[in-house]
Amino acid sequence: MDFSALAAQLNAGAILPEGIVIITLITVLVGDLIGGRASSRWTPYLAIAGLFAAIVALVYQWDTANPIAFLGGFNSDALSVVFRGIIVLSAMITVPMSIRYVEQSGTSLAEFIVILMTATLGGMVLSGADELVTIFVALETLSISSYLLTGYMKRDPRSNEAALKYLLIGAASSAIFLYGVSLLYGLSGGQTRLSAIAAQLAADSSDAPIGLVVALVFVIAGIAFKIAAVPFHQWTPDVYEGSPTPVVAFLSVGSKAAGFALAIRLLVSVFPLVSEQWHFVFTALAILSMVLGNVVALAQTSMKRLLAYSSIAQAGFVMIGLIVGTEAGYASMVFYLLVYLFMNLGGFTCVILFSLRTGTDQISEYSGLYQKDPLLTLGLSICLLSLGGIPPLAGFFGKLYIFWAGWQAGAYGLVLVGLITSVISIYYYIRVIKMMVVKEPQEMSDSVKNYPPMRWNLPGMRPLQVSLVVALVATSLAGILSNPLFTLANDSITHTPLLKAAIAEQAAAMVSHTETVETIAIAPQ
Amino acid sequence: MTLAEGVQLVSFGLLAAMMIAAALGVVLLSNIVYSAFLLGIVFVSISGMYVLLNAGFVAAAQILIYVGAVNVLILFGIMLVNKREDFAPVRRAWLGKVATGAVCLGLFALLSTMVLGTPWALSSEAAIGDGATVMIGLHFFSDFLLPFELASVLLLIALVGAIILARREFIPDEMPQDTVGDALKLPERPRELVPASRDGAES
Amino acid sequence: MSQGIDLQSSFVQLLVQLGLPPGAAKALWMPLPMTLILIAATVSIFVTVWLERKISAAAQQRIGPEYAGPLGTLQAAADGIKLLFKEDIVPAKADALLFTLGPAIVVIPVFLSYLIVPFGQNMVITDIGVGIFLWIALSSITPIGLLMSGYSSNNKYSLLGGLRAAAQSISYELPLALSVLAVVMMSNSLSTIDIVQQQSGYGILGWNVWRQPVGFLIFWIAALAECERLPFDLPEAEEELVAGYQTEYTGMKFGLFYVGSYVNLVLSSLIFAILYLGGWDFPIPIDWVAGALGVSETTPWLQVVFAALGIMMTVLKAYLLVFLAVLLRWTVPRVRIDQLLDLGWKFLLPVSLVNLLLTAALKITFPIAFGG
Repeated sequence: MDFSALAAQLNAGAILPEGIVIITLITVLVGDLIGGRASSRWTPYLAIAGLFAAIVALVYQWDTANPIAFLGGFNSDALSVVFRGIIVLSAMITVPMSIRYVEQSGTSLAEFIVILMTATLGGMVLSGADELVTIFVALETLSISSYLLTGYMKRDPRSNEAALKYLLIGAASSAIFLYGVSLLYGLSGGQTRLSAIAAQLAADSSDAPIGLVVALVFVIAGIAFKIAAVPFHQWTPDVYEGSPTPVVAFLSVGSKAAGFALAIRLLVSVFPLVSEQWHFVFTALAILSMVLGNVVALAQTSMKRLLAYSSIAQAGFVMIGLIVGTEAGYASMVFYLLVYLFMNLGGFTCVILFSLRTGTDQISEYSGLYQKDPLLTLGLSICLLSLGGIPPLAGFFGKLYIFWAGWQAGAYGLVLVGLITSVISIYYYIRVIKMMVVKEPQEMSDSVKNYPPMRWNLPGMRPLQVSLVVALVATSLAGILSNPLFTLANDSITHTPLLKAAIAEQAAAMVSHTETVETIAIAPQ
Repeated sequence: MTLAEGVQLVSFGLLAAMMIAAALGVVLLSNIVYSAFLLGIVFVSISGMYVLLNAGFVAAAQILIYVGAVNVLILFGIMLVNKREDFAPVRRAWLGKVATGAVCLGLFALLSTMVLGTPWALSSEAAIGDGATVMIGLHFFSDFLLPFELASVLLLIALVGAIILARREFIPDEMPQDTVGDALKLPERPRELVPASRDGAES
Repeated sequence: MSQGIDLQSSFVQLLVQLGLPPGAAKALWMPLPMTLILIAATVSIFVTVWLERKISAAAQQRIGPEYAGPLGTLQAAADGIKLLFKEDIVPAKADALLFTLGPAIVVIPVFLSYLIVPFGQNMVITDIGVGIFLWIALSSITPIGLLMSGYSSNNKYSLLGGLRAAAQSISYELPLALSVLAVVMMSNSLSTIDIVQQQSGYGILGWNVWRQPVGFLIFWIAALAECERLPFDLPEAEEELVAGYQTEYTGMKFGLFYVGSYVNLVLSSLIFAILYLGGWDFPIPIDWVAGALGVSETTPWLQVVFAALGIMMTVLKAYLLVFLAVLLRWTVPRVRIDQLLDLGWKFLLPVSLVNLLLTAALKITFPIAFGG
């Protein structure tokens, strides 16, 4: 193969955003190596600039004429662009909120940023990966950098414990996923590209071979671990509680979005033969996640654990969109993830701010915060209300869209479970807000009584404030001015050939499928 | 070079028996050092399987990476923290063991029915044998270019991360007059740090 | 290029003419080169030990062994017999199984590596495609044996020695493999035969030493470290660790370590000769010699002469390197363990990477000189 011909075939421009991220992270790494500790003044901003440039590059990739790159290894269609955008955006908001936190904990900032950007890179490639080897390497890039981030505060035993748990469970789930993927390789007679596998499987047999079902189960185990769906969620509360909070913020948004991107691409393109089975499994996962996530969250005393269970529940809501599989379903997933990005990151920014000031994240310690820090109280309240789905905040419209899409597609049971559990969720979100706002001055907790005065001029506090404000504004306005986001989400689905075909197929098989979902969904009530 | 059928069959049987026995030993033995050494035997047997499949390069790579690097590192880890500890015997431990065994057997039964019941799409192409090295290289630089390059980033970060986790932090002997101190605090407060003045060269 | 003599086909033909089926003739042939190499490797120990003693003595202005055999040549045999008859002690609290297995695991990969050492065009046990890579892979097994014997001796010096040995061989495997890779890149093949053939044609001028001036230095340093020769014999540094992982060993088990270390030295020298010194090539191209003599290259007697010459050249080059290693032993002081690791990771590894990149660049720029 001639070199220039090969270079033309590779269509390497499709990974320009990833290239920008790689160049930025290497610059940060080398700059820190040369500049020493002083470099922490500019490295975060360079990282933010690089991530922003990646977003700009992603915008230019929208609707590219030739999305397939690397001889079928990477697909830069609209779906991958929007998911890569979500991941980069979450990293971009996480960097400013971590500056002060990392500095304060006495660890080096540049490496933290570099590992965070590698996780971002892994997630980005995972969103576009169209071939088994790429999927696995990207998944491992994301996972290994996540383990490292989780254990980054190595002098904190809780961080170590979280990292170890995450590593062990993650490695097991990766192994199971790999086994499933290897079964796919074998079933298709040695194909690794998803489209080729699907074609080969469809050509081989009309009915689903048992090997495919086993492969499906194993693959779902890997994906469900990434998106923390019950019953693959056990790591979530412990890891969220122990890891550095900015890392949790990234894990709960970026890593989860990458998991959803993988789920959509892999399930829709490779497993149409066992479509009923995977819908069944995901319905079960969604119901369990919504019920268990929301109910267990009621009993939490730590803010980070509360947000962990809340993120499990939110993943359950997003799964409804995946299960109904209509155009509106997928679009509502994307829309919800976009909204969730802002509100969840906003919530975590507030938690970081509070723990930076007081050194704790117990919910009871938040009582009476309103008197001492109105901005923080306002921010946390808005984000939590939005997570609970109170109008007119963004979260309400996200949930509305998902439930509407589910109702349209006839998944009545799922939507009902979703509605009931989101009412439950409002209770525990409001509980925190009540704690902060309503308490009389004499009922203030000790940490709030000793609350240090506001000092935004400390190094690293400004970026924290900026990211808080950005998240807040987005959360409050995205609901009212949601039209551009709606259009973006809808376009990302309609411009993706893969999903268009799947939706058409889905519509044909609608009748029988709806019945299945309904019976399954209603059963547990 | 293709071995005669009979030799292949016998070697396969031997390798498989060796691999399964060693793997069972890894799981069942209570002495972790034995487990680690047996793991090496498992890796070597797998490499033998690759030789049987006419994949010499993969076999050599398997030995180099898994036996020469991974297993040695595992042994290193075990020997550096070889703390003998008597654990209190767990009551009804056999219950857990029986349950684990049942789950494993069930999984095995499921997988073997699946393996036997699936019409595998077998490739009819002959094994490439010694030309495999060139072929692997060609794939790495054409259709597997992206994962290949991504793996380099992954390895770089794994390296950086390992160093971060393993290195000792040094703090300056006199803390700079830090006005931040009382305004901000964190649960992840640095504890025992190694003072910088003591000679840190010994490792 | 002349194909040299093909002993295998002549042997098989001979037996077939005697009335054996070809399969049986092949089966009869198969153990022959292996046994031959095994014997040669064992004999090489005697030579090396004798050389080591004599050269060491010369370096210290002594005479060295002189009573056992002419010029003390049988000294190594005497040593071996002594080790054989010594009592084999297993320390009471040692792990007897691992204690016995350890030395075997150290020695076996070294002998296995002789599979790919060529002494002539067709004089190699197997010319497999992965060739030199097999040697690198096999040599990575050795640390397991060292760790095993270090651990099972139940002695802190042994354990430390074993750990040091493993750390050392992991650290030096990387620069070693990278410098080998640079050679492989020039010859477009992992096979040892191809590597030698790529160097032949211009006599001494074609050897890789001239094209890999940095690579061969790195290789030699790393190979010395892999063999645990001075100045890198940290694992058994007697001032610190008594005798490292060998402390508790006696008798033939100790003998196995001894054998292993000398065979490994000879093996590394052989591989060095193959990679950088043109293997069996004569310093003057043989077709020139044949041309000067006015004899056709395919003349049978000339081929026999050249084959013998090839074996001699390989062995001669290897022993030249053994001589160098012994000389280094008495001229260079031992490094400290942290210096050793620093040298490996912070100096040799980057330099060998740069060497690899440079070779790749030169290969693209001057495809004729660097094997396009």
